Amino acid sequence: MADNKDNTAETTSKVKEEQLPEGVVLRDHVYDGIQEYDQKLPNWWLFTLYIMIVFFIGYWVAYYQFGWIKSDVERLNDAMAVVKAAQKAELEKVVANLDDDALGKMSQDPAMISAGEKTFQTVCFACHGKDLSATMGGAKLPGEPLNDAIWKYGEGKPMGVFNIVMKGSPDVTKGMVAFEGQLGAKGVVEVVAYILSHHEAKADGTAKPKGK
Amino acid sequence: MTDGMSNQKSGLKQTIEFDDKSVRWFMGASIVWALVAMLVGVIIAFQMNFWQMNGKFIEWLTFGAFKTEGLEYLTFGRLRPLHTNAAIFAFVGNMMFAGIYYSTQRLCKCRTASDLLSRIHFWGWQLIIVSAAITLPIGLTRGKEYAELIWPINIAVAVIWLVFGFNFLWTLKKRNEPSLYVALWFYIATIITVTVLYVVNHLQIPTSWTHAYPVFSGVQDALVQWWYGHNAVAFFLTTPMLGIMYYFLPKAADRPVYSYRLSIIHFWSLVFIYIWAGPHHLLNTALPKWLQMLAMFFSLMLWAPSWGGMLNGLLTLRGAWDKLRTDPVIKFFVAAVTFYGMCTFEGPLLAIRSVNALSHYTDWTIGHVHSGTLGWNGFLAAGMFYWLAPRLWKTKLWSVPLANMHFWLGLIGILLYVGSMWVAGIMQGLLLNQTDETGTRLIYEFAETVDKINLLLLARAIGGTLFLVGFILLAINIYKTARSGQPVNGTVEVYVEEEKKQDNMTWGNVFRNDPIAYTFWIIVFMLLWFFLPPFANWIALAITLILTWMAVRAFKKSTKKWSDWHETLLENYLPFTVLVFIAMFIGGAIQIIPTVTVNRAKNIEDRLQVPYTPLELAGRDIYISEGCYNCHSQMIRTLVPEVMRYGDYSRMGESIYDFPFQWGSKRTGPDLAREAGKRGDDWHFAHMMNPRSLNRQSRMPNYVWLAHQDTDIKALPSKIAVQRRLGVPYEAMTKNVILDKAKKQAQEIASRLIDAQISIPEKEGVKIASSAEAKEYLQSKQIVALIAYLQKLGTYEEVEAKPEGTHQSTTIKPGLPDTYRPSHKVKKKAAEEKPATEKPAATPAK
Repeated sequence: MADNKDNTAETTSKVKEEQLPEGVVLRDHVYDGIQEYDQKLPNWWLFTLYIMIVFFIGYWVAYYQFGWIKSDVERLNDAMAVVKAAQKAELEKVVANLDDDALGKMSQDPAMISAGEKTFQTVCFACHGKDLSATMGGAKLPGEPLNDAIWKYGEGKPMGVFNIVMKGSPDVTKGMVAFEGQLGAKGVVEVVAYILSHHEAKADGTAKPKGK
Repeated sequence: MTDGMSNQKSGLKQTIEFDDKSVRWFMGASIVWALVAMLVGVIIAFQMNFWQMNGKFIEWLTFGAFKTEGLEYLTFGRLRPLHTNAAIFAFVGNMMFAGIYYSTQRLCKCRTASDLLSRIHFWGWQLIIVSAAITLPIGLTRGKEYAELIWPINIAVAVIWLVFGFNFLWTLKKRNEPSLYVALWFYIATIITVTVLYVVNHLQIPTSWTHAYPVFSGVQDALVQWWYGHNAVAFFLTTPMLGIMYYFLPKAADRPVYSYRLSIIHFWSLVFIYIWAGPHHLLNTALPKWLQMLAMFFSLMLWAPSWGGMLNGLLTLRGAWDKLRTDPVIKFFVAAVTFYGMCTFEGPLLAIRSVNALSHYTDWTIGHVHSGTLGWNGFLAAGMFYWLAPRLWKTKLWSVPLANMHFWLGLIGILLYVGSMWVAGIMQGLLLNQTDETGTRLIYEFAETVDKINLLLLARAIGGTLFLVGFILLAINIYKTARSGQPVNGTVEVYVEEEKKQDNMTWGNVFRNDPIAYTFWIIVFMLLWFFLPPFANWIALAITLILTWMAVRAFKKSTKKWSDWHETLLENYLPFTVLVFIAMFIGGAIQIIPTVTVNRAKNIEDRLQVPYTPLELAGRDIYISEGCYNCHSQMIRTLVPEVMRYGDYSRMGESIYDFPFQWGSKRTGPDLAREAGKRGDDWHFAHMMNPRSLNRQSRMPNYVWLAHQDTDIKALPSKIAVQRRLGVPYEAMTKNVILDKAKKQAQEIASRLIDAQISIPEKEGVKIASSAEAKEYLQSKQIVALIAYLQKLGTYEEVEAKPEGTHQSTTIKPGLPDTYRPSHKVKKKAAEEKPATEKPAATPAK
């Protein structure tokens, strides 16, 4: 054959009469100068295939034919039941002695306030502003201002504020998101303590900004 | 030098000149597009770290002459499809064509059948690529990964691909070498499989010249998409590359191929098994469990066939390893085949459902595909180009040191890339799953987990840049090589027989023989084992195993007969092609046909999606057009951390009216499956205008233009007409009703936004004096439609539970074979239908 000359040069140095190990055949058919050995498939390679086939059959039988393995939804539901129970327990623990007075006291506890401040300044500030004014550089942010005496929801009582942060506003598309999942009941209490630390109680128990 | 069958020197002696011009053209195109694809890749990689790379950087480049906070044409959502399409279809596609045109002519000892078809193929393909590069950045997309191009381009792709396929098979028909070499087997598999995949995944009904809805929706669309997506990797990025490896690697190493037997076994098993593995992109989702199981196990079984290719590549180099020191071509080939081996080990690993639970939606997958595309395809392409250039221009490679430099830059680049993606993926996966000590709440917000992998993302971008620099060196080297020589077409002298001793097998001989009979019945009983009800499936399994044992015995007894049959088959290109088609087709048919034919709304249990209002539909098309699915998924998997983070897991019926599905494949932002009602309209507005105002760690682009561009509501009537044809239960509405509905909903949202005191970003020529004017201005804008869509995500209605055992569908159930399980399983299944997690139904349509 005469491809262009470079190729001819290559095909002249083909394996011809070399000593082949036992069981290895050099096939006599040559394709454009390419030769092929014919030799046994490596055993370890075959075993990777066999093991996978056995695993396939075993797992399929265990799942479908014996029903030994839980389905995804069963597994998920079991695990979520545990999580829900733990969440409920934690919530009950936090809420057990929680009322307006208790929250009011917490809003004077420096440890609570600083923990709440940390959360507020990483999560809540985005909508309510770093100074609780719901503005940033003069522009209005999506949240309500928390540094005035106007309370759109929850009547301005500490427990009302707590509930809003936990559950979100009645129609979330027009207001706040529920933070129970993200912050946990304890985290919410801290944030509420921080917010209320800017306020003092009026005679009717609602909060108003300090000194106003 | 004589070759095989043609050594009876009879017949007419002829000198045949090959068409190497096409090879040179395809090679040049591949190199140019590779640079484009990689450059776009580098840009979007840096977008992960710096949101300014979405266009604001142009402000700096022009020293402020051009003011912008970001350009709509350069966002990640629009450029990422351009990157993937360019890498796959432009870079690897053209490289594949160069390799196939070069090697097929030589393996067939004949010139490509038609020069005209070759020209049409070349120019058609480049035109398609150019049109892709224009349409994708302007937001014309189908919203399905690696299948984003709009329908007129789809038709062009199909036509040009058929031109190529026809030209190839015609060349086989005219061949002067009776027996087909293994490289050609892989090319055949490529051509027929890609045709089938492409056509099925692009079935769609146009609503305009630039927009169409796919005929499949939700879970069906997901299944078809990933059957296509995965097998595009298999039959566009793997089989043609293996063919190229089988030709160019033994040529470059000047050594015989390691094992012919291995070629046969790994070829057929690869073609048969690969196609089943597609749904492994949908593990732990709402996809029926049996499909997930099949995908996982077939992926695991695919490990061996893939490694067969690697072994045949690496072991061919026995006795030629010394060349590794001196020959850059061998260096590239060794690295490529090694990456192929690594990648095809990693693939099955990632397809294990529990591993996938962590890895899916993270950068691990991104690392995996790049070790395939850059490590395996990219290095193979480089090796092939360096080998070809001196031969195509009859000269020496311009600079060997430069090629070596390319190799090391590329290798360091890809290792940095893949390594950082592994760490980033695993780390983010773990962070997302981390709960506090009580196990009741997740520790990290989504954006925090992305922030923690910042350095790794940067390392990836640098790795990619190094790979690009390496490829620029290749472009220089090849250009200089070409300039130093003259284009030369190869020739071959053949003795053309008057009566060709090939293609004379009868169809009876093709199908009626032991190998086919055993394979056929083994597969039939294996399928019965999957689908038959209890007890009957045991019998089917037993028969499958017995038949396998009998087949092994028959093969051992008459090995010669079996191998002679295969050798004859190799001299008959059409029967060979038909058998490849059948082997490839089985898996797809079994997985897809039951699901796409019966999985309609009336079969859905549990929950059913509420169809979109006209405005929401318009918003959805904006979401797709902006490519939001490139970063946001809409699929809450059946995993505890997902449910804790995003809410109740997604049901099959909850995306049944989604044309196309938007489950996503990677999360750079959080899942949006239950976004409705989680946040206020004004929050979404502020977030879309500047995500960082609400989340400092966000890297999402500012979508300012959405506040100034009008929603195309005029297109809605034809869109809704198509959706009705596709089975979405819209009531009969006139054009005016549709437009009125859309406008009314838009007015409501716009006035809610203005009342909440949002500020519309400034734009030249736009003056808004009063809030009434602002409402008027805003209601027609895209942002309003998009918000309407986002506030709908996850809205469903409960479907009345059907009494046990009264499944309406008379044919096969989508959940099959799960519904056929023994009684104790059926009881459990009934329990599944009551979700344990309480989640109030999302706000119904407004």
